[in-house]
Amino acid sequence: MAAKASLKIKGKGKGSSKGSSSSSSSSSVSSKYKVFKAWTNWSLEKAKVATHYGFIPLIIIIGMNSDPKPDLFQLLSPV
Amino acid sequence: MADIFPPLTAAQVDAKIKVDEKVDYSNLPCPVPYEELHREALMSLRSDNFEGLRFDFTRALNQKFSLSHSVMMGPTEIPSQSSETIKIPTAHYEFGANYYDPKLLLIGRVMTDGRLSARVKADLTEKLVVKANAQITNEQHQSQAMFNFDYMGSDYRAQLQLGQSALIGATYIQSVTNHLSLGGEVFWAGVPRKSGIGYAARYETDKMVASAQVASTGAVVMNYVQKISDKVSLATDFMYNYFSRDVTASVGYDYILRQARVRGKIDSNGVASALLEERLSMGLNFLLSAELDHKKKDYKFGFGLTVG
Repeated sequence: MAAKASLKIKGKGKGSSKGSSSSSSSSSVSSKYKVFKAWTNWSLEKAKVATHYGFIPLIIIIGMNSDPKPDLFQLLSPV
Repeated sequence: MADIFPPLTAAQVDAKIKVDEKVDYSNLPCPVPYEELHREALMSLRSDNFEGLRFDFTRALNQKFSLSHSVMMGPTEIPSQSSETIKIPTAHYEFGANYYDPKLLLIGRVMTDGRLSARVKADLTEKLVVKANAQITNEQHQSQAMFNFDYMGSDYRAQLQLGQSALIGATYIQSVTNHLSLGGEVFWAGVPRKSGIGYAARYETDKMVASAQVASTGAVVMNYVQKISDKVSLATDFMYNYFSRDVTASVGYDYILRQARVRGKIDSNGVASALLEERLSMGLNFLLSAELDHKKKDYKFGFGLTVG
């Protein structure tokens, strides 16, 4: 979530400023952080699409496997 | 558009000690959750009035699993800059699936335009409950999600909230005596960079409930509900925003009769509204809703039928 991403921003910012002040290590830290942020954005996008398509089928699968097991016909018929 | 969901709170055993006994401060009852502080007042005063036709059909496949089909036709308001309300007639169909288990609750609703609204409540342990609420649309950046972690102690409740656009909030409520509970909340929103803090108090007895809430966003809410009998309760509400100087006071009633439930209220903004839910027969409910806004000259009437 963006909330966790922003908390991690603060953590990494403090870490890189308190650590050794050589520019090469800070730039590698910031590039690693950019890769990490891009990866979290990509995974959040995929999670959003997965939830959008898969949430209702997930409920139906969990429901059809609960006791007493309903028929497939009961799922599809309007009565 | 709200369907009639069962209440999400876990059942509580409320140990009401008689007045003449000494108060046992180590054995106080658990307070209501912070977001339900104004629960009794909201039942009378914030009834879900709708406009147009509403038809809900719920089909239970077994005790835990059910599917629902819902049709709504009527004008929907779009927000406009001028004082006139602009309404566009729309019709939509919504399909939903519900799974109710004592430990896991899953509710999903999807509309014809692809909007999904999902609600999950899972009991991780006896005391810790995770709730998630999401509205996902096809458009970019219009989706919202919120995660809540609730912990229920012996006489207190604590909640942590995480929201989709960098929103973090926490609430805490504690029973101070058998009738009084006090609570507070803090939140921090990342997108409009602001934070806020609020306090709340609730006093309840068998016959009445009084609650008040103050927040640093400027909102002050006070309400009072008197339970006249099993069937009748009256409520009154006062909302004030000390930054924008908006004041609203309302008075409402709630009659729970054997075959029907009537709720109505009148407002200081010139709004009078009422909602009737009548049970025609087992599983068949008829709804009539009316809302008259005399100030804006906006009159809304709706009728509906709920099956199952």
